[in-house]
Amino acid sequence: MNSLSTITILSGHFGSGKTEIAINLALAERQKHEKTAINDLDIINPYYRSRDAASIFQQHDIELLAPKNRLAAADLPIVSGEIYRVLHDPRYRLIVDAGGDKDGAAALGQYYHEWKDLSPELLFVLNGNRPYVSTVAGAQYTIEQIEKASRLKVTGIINNSNIGSETTMNDIQNGYQLSGCLAEELDIPFLYTTISAHLKKEAEDFAKNHQVVFIERYMKLPWES
Amino acid sequence: MGKVLMKGNEVIAEAAVHAGCKYFFGYPITPQSELVAYMARRLPEVGGLFLQAESEIAAINMVYGAASTGVRVMTSSSSPGFSLKQEGISYLVGSELPAVICNIVRGGPGLGNIQPAQSDYFQVTKGGGHGDYNLPVLAPASLQEIVELTQEAFDIADRYRTPVILMGDGMLGQMMEPVEFGERSETEQFKKDWATTGTRGDGEPKIITSLELDAESLERRNCNLQQKFARIKENEVRYETYFLDDADYIMVAFGTTARITMNAISKARQEGVKVGLIRPISLWPFPEKPFIETRDQVKAYISVEMSAGQMIEDVRLAVNGHAPVDFYGRTGGVVPTQEEIYDKIMMVARGVQV
Repeated sequence: MNSLSTITILSGHFGSGKTEIAINLALAERQKHEKTAINDLDIINPYYRSRDAASIFQQHDIELLAPKNRLAAADLPIVSGEIYRVLHDPRYRLIVDAGGDKDGAAALGQYYHEWKDLSPELLFVLNGNRPYVSTVAGAQYTIEQIEKASRLKVTGIINNSNIGSETTMNDIQNGYQLSGCLAEELDIPFLYTTISAHLKKEAEDFAKNHQVVFIERYMKLPWES
Repeated sequence: MGKVLMKGNEVIAEAAVHAGCKYFFGYPITPQSELVAYMARRLPEVGGLFLQAESEIAAINMVYGAASTGVRVMTSSSSPGFSLKQEGISYLVGSELPAVICNIVRGGPGLGNIQPAQSDYFQVTKGGGHGDYNLPVLAPASLQEIVELTQEAFDIADRYRTPVILMGDGMLGQMMEPVEFGERSETEQFKKDWATTGTRGDGEPKIITSLELDAESLERRNCNLQQKFARIKENEVRYETYFLDDADYIMVAFGTTARITMNAISKARQEGVKVGLIRPISLWPFPEKPFIETRDQVKAYISVEMSAGQMIEDVRLAVNGHAPVDFYGRTGGVVPTQEEIYDKIMMVARGVQV
């Protein structure tokens, strides 16, 4: 998860796992940067967003930029104005968690003039086990839509293929193949594969030969302890 | 097709398509908008029709129109929007039209919030609209169960010529789980000779209406409906039970609340408290049998709900005074935790309060 830019934007299709990756990335970057902020720009999902991990960010001294208090759960497409405070402050490492698909990416477009000269990373998270992105054509269509809405070019692809608790190495391998084809087709660098930490053992061989980032899950359901 | 990772709302939509539903009329509302969005993209792919109506009331009346022609049709909403549909649902019942209506419940009353709730239980199980009626209500607890019950809902609707409600809370609509859409083994054939698709001089005019001006005739119509409801009560009860054999205490919970309760039960069992679970899958007809079979052996029942206590009334009716019935619930979109439910079990088991 090494990055040269100070701004990393996580985009992807709806339900790709952006938020989990954004949280993991923010925690990792906090180790290297005194000031790390995560900006929750998700205007699509009503729950399971970065702001729902507020206590984790607080514990690790990461600034959460998101609608707060009663507005946090408002059924409104609103974003926090706090982003302007950190955007041009070179001390900050900023992770941006956008909502899914072009509709989620629409929230990014407004910042184009703010960050176009800061060369932000726009990462595309792909879970090949989700509807409509299980083919190169489907994923390509989503990327084009996101690029149009965000007014930025995708700079890297992350393979986050999984089916939740029942994920097998087969799902991860298939997603890796798909991501590779997509990267080649669009001439976008493929970065790495993210794998849930509970699969560490099964993924041992895969991790030897591929770029892998093991991630923890923070968006848990009330019966998952 | 292998397993895919989907959101609950998407699963309902895809399962409906698998059940042969090609028509959807709806109006977006959080937390079920993904269902509407998925249908907008999916139905044109299968030669169906998606239409975003100008309101929930318009949508349910479009469902009435489509259902009159005998096609499989669906609409969906969340609590406030579902309330708006009640008049139309009553018309569907009165006109004996099959349709599936989905309610992904959020915190109420009023505009409330967009968090998960089960507080529309009374509304779905006791009629909801005007007039003497009930209609089947199915409450899945997992995304794979949504696949099965959505298809069941369409079958029940056609089998009895009745609208059927599929009810989940916001969490079920928003969460993601792996699901598989298997090919259906047997599909019941439904003859829809009542559909208003035109006559060709081959019989009486076909009329779909809930209007019946003559009192005696309307009473006869009501008697027929009551007989139909009795048949549904006889044949369409669905539930699951866990650890009832040696249970001293029985929890009652449906939907996602049942899954949280299961964890609390496992923990209580580790502590030596013999607890079981009755999980109603059909909320109407309410499963009375597992209560009748257990009510003389258990020390107490505990109904766990994301409401101020609604299903508990049906539990009390089924237990009929044979055992105490206690309650634990959270309201306003607060989801009960396993710890809270565990504490409640231990409190009841230790006889502190029943």
